[in-house]
Amino acid sequence: MNDKDVQRREELGPDRRQEISSLERRALLKLGFAISGVFLGGSVLSLVSVRKADAAGAPVIGGYPYNPHYTMVIRERHCIDCELCKEACVKTNGVPAYGYRTTILEKRRALEEGKFETTFMPVLCNHCNNPPCVRVCPTTATWKDKTTGIVGIYRPSLCIGCKTCMTACPYNARYFNEERRAIDKCDFCFASRLSKGEKTTACAAACPADVRVFGNLADHGDRVYRLLHAPETLIWVLRPETGAVPNVFYVNT
Amino acid sequence: MRIWLGVWTLAVALLIHPLSNAADKGGGKAAEPYDEDTYGPEAPVVWVKPVRSVIFEHRVHTMDAGLDCASCHDDLFEMSSGEVAEKDDFTMAAIYQGKYCGSCHDGSTAYNANTRCTTCHIGVRGHQRLERAQAEKGRAK
Repeated sequence: MNDKDVQRREELGPDRRQEISSLERRALLKLGFAISGVFLGGSVLSLVSVRKADAAGAPVIGGYPYNPHYTMVIRERHCIDCELCKEACVKTNGVPAYGYRTTILEKRRALEEGKFETTFMPVLCNHCNNPPCVRVCPTTATWKDKTTGIVGIYRPSLCIGCKTCMTACPYNARYFNEERRAIDKCDFCFASRLSKGEKTTACAAACPADVRVFGNLADHGDRVYRLLHAPETLIWVLRPETGAVPNVFYVNT
Repeated sequence: MRIWLGVWTLAVALLIHPLSNAADKGGGKAAEPYDEDTYGPEAPVVWVKPVRSVIFEHRVHTMDAGLDCASCHDDLFEMSSGEVAEKDDFTMAAIYQGKYCGSCHDGSTAYNANTRCTTCHIGVRGHQRLERAQAEKGRAK
Protein backbone atom coordinates (compact mmCIF):
# COMPACT_ATOMS: atom_id res chain seq x y z
CA MET A 1 0.00 0.00 0.00
CA ASN A 2 1.53 3.30 -0.96
CA ASP A 3 1.27 6.58 0.91
CA LYS A 4 -1.55 7.85 -1.23
CA ASP A 5 -3.65 4.80 -0.39
CA VAL A 6 -2.93 5.22 3.30
CA GLN A 7 -3.94 8.85 3.19
CA ARG A 8 -7.06 8.18 1.13
CA ARG A 9 -8.21 5.43 3.44
CA GLU A 10 -7.51 7.44 6.55
CA GLU A 11 -9.66 10.22 5.16
CA LEU A 12 -12.52 7.90 4.27
CA GLY A 13 -13.25 7.09 7.88
CA PRO A 14 -14.70 4.05 9.52
CA ASP A 15 -18.18 3.82 8.02
CA ARG A 16 -17.19 2.28 4.74
CA ARG A 17 -16.98 -1.30 5.74
CA GLN A 18 -18.78 -2.51 2.65
CA GLU A 19 -15.94 -1.25 0.50
CA ILE A 20 -13.51 -3.76 1.87
CA SER A 21 -12.98 -6.38 -0.78
CA SER A 22 -13.37 -10.04 0.01
CA LEU A 23 -9.68 -10.52 -0.70
CA GLU A 24 -8.84 -7.94 1.92
CA ARG A 25 -11.23 -9.52 4.39
CA ARG A 26 -9.60 -12.87 3.87
CA ALA A 27 -6.09 -11.44 4.30
CA LEU A 28 -7.20 -9.89 7.54
CA LEU A 29 -8.78 -13.02 8.89
CA LYS A 30 -5.63 -14.92 8.10
CA LEU A 31 -3.73 -12.55 10.32
CA GLY A 32 -6.06 -13.24 13.20
CA PHE A 33 -8.01 -10.01 13.09
CA ALA A 34 -11.69 -9.43 12.57
CA ILE A 35 -13.07 -6.55 10.61
CA SER A 36 -14.34 -3.95 13.02
CA GLY A 37 -15.46 -1.39 10.52
CA VAL A 38 -12.06 -0.03 9.75
CA PHE A 39 -10.12 -0.08 6.58
CA LEU A 40 -7.84 -2.75 5.42
CA GLY A 41 -5.51 -1.09 3.02
CA GLY A 42 -5.04 -3.68 0.37
CA SER A 43 -3.52 -5.59 3.20
CA VAL A 44 -4.57 -5.56 6.78
CA LEU A 45 -6.92 -3.65 8.82
CA SER A 46 -7.81 -3.79 12.35
CA LEU A 47 -8.95 -5.01 14.76
CA VAL A 48 -10.36 -7.32 17.10
CA SER A 49 -8.55 -10.57 17.40
CA VAL A 50 -10.70 -13.41 16.23
CA ARG A 51 -11.56 -16.04 18.73
CA LYS A 52 -13.86 -18.01 16.51
CA ALA A 53 -12.73 -16.91 13.09
CA ASP A 54 -12.89 -19.56 10.49
CA ALA A 55 -11.01 -18.81 7.32
CA ALA A 56 -9.73 -21.38 4.90
CA GLY A 57 -5.96 -21.57 5.04
CA ALA A 58 -5.65 -19.57 8.22
CA PRO A 59 -2.52 -20.77 9.97
CA VAL A 60 -4.13 -20.41 13.35
CA ILE A 61 -7.72 -20.00 14.23
CA GLY A 62 -8.38 -17.82 17.21
CA GLY A 63 -5.64 -15.76 18.73
CA TYR A 64 -1.93 -15.86 18.16
CA PRO A 65 0.18 -18.95 17.69
CA TYR A 66 2.98 -18.06 20.07
CA ASN A 67 3.38 -16.74 23.56
CA PRO A 68 5.24 -14.51 23.71
CA HIS A 69 4.17 -13.66 20.18
CA TYR A 70 6.97 -11.22 19.35
CA THR A 71 5.73 -8.39 17.18
CA MET A 72 6.96 -5.01 16.10
CA VAL A 73 4.62 -2.14 15.35
CA ILE A 74 6.18 0.62 13.28
CA ARG A 75 4.65 4.09 13.63
CA GLU A 76 5.81 4.99 10.18
CA ARG A 77 5.00 8.71 9.90
CA HIS A 78 7.15 9.43 12.94
CA CYS A 79 10.36 8.07 11.45
CA ILE A 80 12.92 10.81 10.72
CA ASP A 81 15.71 8.61 9.37
CA CYS A 82 18.21 9.53 12.07
CA GLU A 83 19.44 5.94 11.75
CA LEU A 84 20.24 5.52 15.43
CA CYS A 85 18.37 2.19 15.19
CA LYS A 86 20.71 0.96 12.49
CA GLU A 87 23.73 1.94 14.54
CA ALA A 88 22.39 0.30 17.68
CA CYS A 89 21.69 -2.88 15.72
CA VAL A 90 25.18 -2.99 14.23
CA LYS A 91 26.76 -2.40 17.62
CA THR A 92 24.61 -4.89 19.52
CA ASN A 93 24.70 -7.70 17.01
CA GLY A 94 28.09 -7.19 15.33
CA VAL A 95 26.62 -6.69 11.87
CA PRO A 96 29.30 -6.29 9.16
CA ALA A 97 29.34 -3.26 6.87
CA TYR A 98 28.26 -5.25 3.80
CA GLY A 99 25.02 -6.45 5.38
CA TYR A 100 22.18 -5.20 7.51
CA ARG A 101 19.58 -6.61 9.85
CA THR A 102 17.42 -3.54 9.69
CA THR A 103 17.49 -0.53 7.43
CA ILE A 104 15.39 2.48 6.49
CA LEU A 105 13.85 2.91 3.07
CA GLU A 106 12.67 6.19 1.69
CA LYS A 107 9.54 6.90 -0.30
CA ARG A 108 9.36 10.20 -2.12
CA ARG A 109 6.10 11.36 -3.61
CA ALA A 110 6.28 14.27 -6.03
CA LEU A 111 4.00 17.13 -5.07
CA GLU A 112 4.30 20.35 -7.05
CA GLU A 113 7.31 21.54 -9.01
CA GLY A 114 10.52 20.38 -7.30
CA LYS A 115 8.76 19.48 -4.05
CA PHE A 116 8.46 16.07 -2.46
CA GLU A 117 6.70 14.46 0.43
CA THR A 118 9.05 12.06 2.10
CA THR A 119 8.17 9.04 4.18
CA PHE A 120 10.79 6.88 5.82
CA MET A 121 10.03 3.21 6.15
CA PRO A 122 12.03 1.15 8.63
CA VAL A 123 12.28 -2.47 7.52
CA LEU A 124 13.53 -5.64 9.15
CA CYS A 125 12.79 -9.35 9.23
CA ASN A 126 9.02 -9.79 9.61
CA HIS A 127 9.36 -13.11 11.46
CA CYS A 128 6.51 -14.42 9.33
CA ASN A 129 4.11 -17.04 10.58
CA ASN A 130 4.47 -18.72 7.23
CA PRO A 131 8.10 -17.89 6.38
CA PRO A 132 9.07 -18.45 2.72
CA CYS A 133 12.76 -18.46 3.67
CA VAL A 134 12.32 -21.50 5.91
CA ARG A 135 10.34 -23.41 3.33
CA VAL A 136 13.13 -23.21 0.74
CA CYS A 137 16.12 -24.09 2.95
CA PRO A 138 17.51 -27.39 1.64
CA THR A 139 19.47 -28.23 4.79
CA THR A 140 17.10 -27.09 7.59
CA ALA A 141 19.71 -24.65 8.90
CA THR A 142 16.97 -22.09 9.46
CA TRP A 143 13.59 -22.45 11.07
CA LYS A 144 10.91 -20.67 13.05
CA ASP A 145 11.27 -21.38 16.74
CA LYS A 146 8.28 -23.24 18.11
CA THR A 147 8.06 -21.30 21.35
CA THR A 148 9.17 -17.77 20.49
CA GLY A 149 8.19 -17.70 16.83
CA ILE A 150 11.52 -16.10 15.96
CA VAL A 151 12.91 -17.01 12.55
CA GLY A 152 16.61 -17.65 12.84
CA ILE A 153 19.61 -19.56 11.52
CA TYR A 154 19.71 -21.89 14.48
CA ARG A 155 22.25 -24.27 12.98
CA PRO A 156 24.71 -22.12 10.98
CA SER A 157 27.03 -25.12 10.54
CA LEU A 158 24.37 -26.67 8.30
CA CYS A 159 24.15 -23.58 6.09
CA ILE A 160 25.77 -24.26 2.72
CA GLY A 161 25.51 -20.64 1.58
CA CYS A 162 23.21 -21.37 -1.33
CA LYS A 163 21.38 -18.10 -0.65
CA THR A 164 18.03 -19.51 -1.72
CA CYS A 165 16.48 -18.09 1.45
CA MET A 166 17.79 -14.64 0.51
CA THR A 167 15.94 -14.91 -2.77
CA ALA A 168 12.79 -16.28 -1.16
CA CYS A 169 12.50 -13.57 1.51
CA PRO A 170 9.90 -10.99 0.43
CA TYR A 171 11.51 -8.42 2.73
CA ASN A 172 15.15 -8.70 1.67
CA ALA A 173 16.01 -9.27 5.31
CA ARG A 174 18.89 -11.76 4.97
CA TYR A 175 22.56 -11.40 4.11
CA PHE A 176 25.50 -13.77 3.84
CA ASN A 177 27.89 -13.35 6.77
CA GLU A 178 31.33 -14.01 5.36
CA GLU A 179 32.95 -14.54 8.75
CA ARG A 180 30.40 -17.11 9.86
CA ARG A 181 30.19 -18.57 6.36
CA ALA A 182 26.44 -18.67 6.87
CA ILE A 183 23.36 -16.58 6.28
CA ASP A 184 22.60 -14.06 9.01
CA LYS A 185 19.56 -11.97 9.88
CA CYS A 186 17.56 -10.16 12.53
CA ASP A 187 16.56 -12.36 15.46
CA PHE A 188 14.62 -9.64 17.30
CA CYS A 189 17.82 -9.36 19.40
CA PHE A 190 17.04 -12.71 20.99
CA ALA A 191 20.67 -13.79 21.33
CA SER A 192 22.03 -10.39 22.29
CA ARG A 193 19.25 -9.02 24.52
CA LEU A 194 15.98 -10.92 25.02
CA SER A 195 17.69 -14.09 26.25
CA LYS A 196 19.56 -11.95 28.79
CA GLY A 197 16.42 -10.52 30.28
CA GLU A 198 16.04 -7.34 28.23
CA LYS A 199 12.48 -6.57 27.21
CA THR A 200 12.99 -4.90 23.88
CA THR A 201 15.23 -4.89 20.81
CA ALA A 202 18.26 -2.63 20.40
CA CYS A 203 16.64 -0.72 17.53
CA ALA A 204 13.45 -0.03 19.48
CA ALA A 205 15.44 1.08 22.53
CA ALA A 206 17.55 3.46 20.43
CA CYS A 207 14.68 5.18 18.60
CA PRO A 208 14.25 8.80 19.78
CA ALA A 209 10.88 9.19 18.04
CA ASP A 210 9.18 6.10 19.50
CA VAL A 211 8.70 4.65 16.02
CA ARG A 212 9.50 1.04 16.77
CA VAL A 213 7.27 -0.57 19.38
CA PHE A 214 8.27 -4.10 20.28
CA GLY A 215 6.23 -6.46 22.38
CA ASN A 216 4.09 -9.53 22.84
CA LEU A 217 0.95 -9.57 20.71
CA ALA A 218 -0.51 -12.40 22.77
CA ASP A 219 -0.55 -10.22 25.89
CA HIS A 220 -3.66 -8.05 25.94
CA GLY A 221 -2.01 -5.51 28.22
CA ASP A 222 0.99 -5.07 25.93
CA ARG A 223 1.42 -1.85 23.98
CA VAL A 224 1.68 -3.65 20.63
CA TYR A 225 -1.64 -5.36 21.32
CA ARG A 226 -3.27 -2.06 22.24
CA LEU A 227 -1.84 -0.28 19.20
CA LEU A 228 -3.10 -2.97 16.84
CA HIS A 229 -6.50 -3.27 18.47
CA ALA A 230 -7.31 0.39 18.92
CA PRO A 231 -10.59 1.08 17.12
CA GLU A 232 -10.42 2.88 13.81
CA THR A 233 -6.74 2.33 13.31
CA LEU A 234 -5.42 1.80 9.84
CA ILE A 235 -2.88 -0.98 9.87
CA TRP A 236 -0.92 -2.44 7.02
CA VAL A 237 1.79 -4.94 6.41
CA LEU A 238 4.32 -5.08 3.60
CA ARG A 239 3.74 -7.43 0.69
CA PRO A 240 0.64 -9.19 2.03
CA GLU A 241 0.14 -10.90 -1.32
CA THR A 242 2.99 -13.30 -0.60
CA GLY A 243 0.93 -15.03 2.07
CA ALA A 244 3.87 -14.99 4.46
CA VAL A 245 1.73 -13.65 7.35
CA PRO A 246 4.26 -11.17 8.71
CA ASN A 247 4.57 -9.97 12.31
CA VAL A 248 5.79 -6.44 11.61
CA PHE A 249 2.86 -4.06 11.37
CA TYR A 250 2.75 -0.47 10.16
CA VAL A 251 0.52 2.27 11.56
CA ASN A 252 0.49 6.06 11.53
CA THR A 253 -0.96 6.55 15.01
CA MET B 1 -11.52 15.79 -41.50
CA ARG B 2 -12.72 18.08 -38.78
CA ILE B 3 -11.91 15.49 -36.13
CA TRP B 4 -8.32 15.26 -37.33
CA LEU B 5 -7.97 18.99 -37.20
CA GLY B 6 -9.16 18.89 -33.57
CA VAL B 7 -6.73 16.14 -32.64
CA TRP B 8 -3.88 17.98 -34.31
CA THR B 9 -4.64 21.21 -32.45
CA LEU B 10 -4.82 19.39 -29.14
CA ALA B 11 -1.52 17.64 -29.76
CA VAL B 12 0.21 20.90 -30.61
CA ALA B 13 -1.32 22.58 -27.55
CA LEU B 14 -0.10 19.80 -25.29
CA LEU B 15 3.39 20.01 -26.75
CA ILE B 16 3.65 23.74 -26.33
CA HIS B 17 2.11 23.86 -22.86
CA PRO B 18 5.07 22.52 -20.81
CA LEU B 19 7.50 24.68 -22.78
CA SER B 20 5.64 27.89 -22.13
CA ASN B 21 5.25 26.94 -18.49
CA ALA B 22 8.98 26.37 -18.09
CA ALA B 23 9.76 29.65 -19.80
CA ASP B 24 7.54 31.50 -17.33
CA LYS B 25 9.31 30.01 -14.37
CA GLY B 26 12.76 30.75 -15.73
CA GLY B 27 11.69 34.34 -16.30
CA GLY B 28 10.37 34.65 -12.75
CA LYS B 29 13.60 33.47 -11.23
CA ALA B 30 15.71 35.72 -13.39
CA ALA B 31 13.65 38.71 -12.27
CA GLU B 32 14.75 38.36 -8.65
CA PRO B 33 18.08 36.74 -7.91
CA TYR B 34 18.66 35.44 -4.39
CA ASP B 35 20.47 38.12 -2.43
CA GLU B 36 22.23 36.76 0.62
CA ASP B 37 22.49 40.21 2.26
CA THR B 38 18.71 40.56 2.19
CA TYR B 39 17.59 36.96 2.62
CA GLY B 40 20.37 35.28 4.60
CA PRO B 41 22.77 32.54 3.58
CA GLU B 42 21.63 30.63 0.51
CA ALA B 43 23.04 27.27 1.62
CA PRO B 44 20.61 25.43 3.89
CA VAL B 45 21.43 25.05 7.56
CA VAL B 46 21.54 21.38 8.56
CA TRP B 47 21.61 20.55 12.26
CA VAL B 48 23.08 17.29 13.43
CA LYS B 49 22.36 17.96 17.09
CA PRO B 50 20.32 17.01 19.09
CA VAL B 51 19.22 14.67 16.27
CA ARG B 52 20.80 14.19 12.91
CA SER B 53 19.88 15.83 9.64
CA VAL B 54 17.34 18.56 10.29
CA ILE B 55 17.17 21.24 7.63
CA PHE B 56 16.39 24.94 7.71
CA GLU B 57 16.28 27.05 4.56
CA HIS B 58 16.50 30.83 4.74
CA ARG B 59 15.09 31.09 1.22
CA VAL B 60 11.77 29.50 2.20
CA HIS B 61 11.33 31.73 5.22
CA THR B 62 12.60 35.08 3.91
CA MET B 63 12.32 35.31 0.14
CA ASP B 64 9.26 33.04 -0.15
CA ALA B 65 7.40 33.70 3.13
CA GLY B 66 8.42 37.36 3.46
CA LEU B 67 9.95 37.33 6.94
CA ASP B 68 12.82 39.65 7.71
CA CYS B 69 15.99 38.86 9.68
CA ALA B 70 14.65 40.45 12.86
CA SER B 71 11.68 38.08 12.89
CA CYS B 72 13.96 35.39 14.30
CA HIS B 73 17.35 37.00 15.02
CA ASP B 74 18.47 37.34 17.75
CA ASP B 75 15.40 36.63 19.90
CA LEU B 76 14.67 33.08 18.77
CA PHE B 77 17.99 32.15 17.25
CA GLU B 78 21.51 33.51 17.47
CA MET B 79 23.04 34.38 14.13
CA SER B 80 25.49 31.52 14.37
CA SER B 81 23.65 28.31 13.45
CA GLY B 82 25.79 26.10 15.65
CA GLU B 83 25.00 28.04 18.80
CA VAL B 84 21.40 26.93 19.37
CA ALA B 85 22.34 23.26 19.02
CA GLU B 86 24.46 23.60 22.17
CA LYS B 87 21.44 24.51 24.27
CA ASP B 88 19.86 21.84 26.43
CA ASP B 89 16.34 22.93 25.63
CA PHE B 90 16.68 22.85 21.83
CA THR B 91 14.30 19.88 21.71
CA MET B 92 10.98 18.99 20.12
CA ALA B 93 9.34 19.30 23.55
CA ALA B 94 10.46 22.95 23.79
CA ILE B 95 9.34 23.60 20.22
CA TYR B 96 5.87 22.24 21.05
CA GLN B 97 5.78 24.74 23.91
CA GLY B 98 6.36 27.60 21.51
CA LYS B 99 10.10 28.05 21.74
CA TYR B 100 12.43 28.31 18.72
CA CYS B 101 10.69 27.05 15.54
CA GLY B 102 7.55 26.55 17.60
CA SER B 103 6.93 30.27 17.97
CA CYS B 104 5.56 30.22 14.42
CA HIS B 105 5.07 26.50 13.79
CA ASP B 106 2.11 26.29 16.15
CA GLY B 107 -0.66 25.30 13.77
CA SER B 108 -1.96 28.84 13.21
CA THR B 109 0.93 31.02 11.97
CA ALA B 110 2.55 28.09 10.19
CA TYR B 111 1.92 24.34 10.18
CA ASN B 112 2.24 22.73 13.57
CA ALA B 113 5.66 21.35 14.48
CA ASN B 114 4.10 18.05 15.47
CA THR B 115 2.97 17.42 11.88
CA ARG B 116 4.85 16.91 8.63
CA CYS B 117 7.99 15.65 10.40
CA THR B 118 9.97 14.90 7.27
CA THR B 119 9.67 18.42 5.87
CA CYS B 120 12.49 19.46 8.22
CA HIS B 121 13.79 16.05 9.30
CA ILE B 122 15.27 15.18 5.93
CA GLY B 123 17.08 12.20 7.41
CA VAL B 124 20.51 10.80 6.78
CA ARG B 125 19.51 9.94 3.23
CA GLY B 126 18.16 13.39 2.53
CA HIS B 127 21.29 14.96 3.98
CA GLN B 128 23.51 12.85 1.75
CA ARG B 129 21.43 13.79 -1.28
CA LEU B 130 21.72 17.47 -0.36
CA GLU B 131 25.48 17.23 0.02
CA ARG B 132 25.78 15.51 -3.36
CA ALA B 133 23.68 18.25 -4.97
CA GLN B 134 25.80 20.96 -3.38
CA ALA B 135 29.02 19.27 -4.49
CA GLU B 136 27.70 19.10 -8.04
CA LYS B 137 26.73 22.75 -7.90
CA GLY B 138 30.23 23.58 -6.68
CA ARG B 139 31.79 21.70 -9.58
CA ALA B 140 29.49 23.41 -12.06
CA LYS B 141 30.71 26.79 -10.87
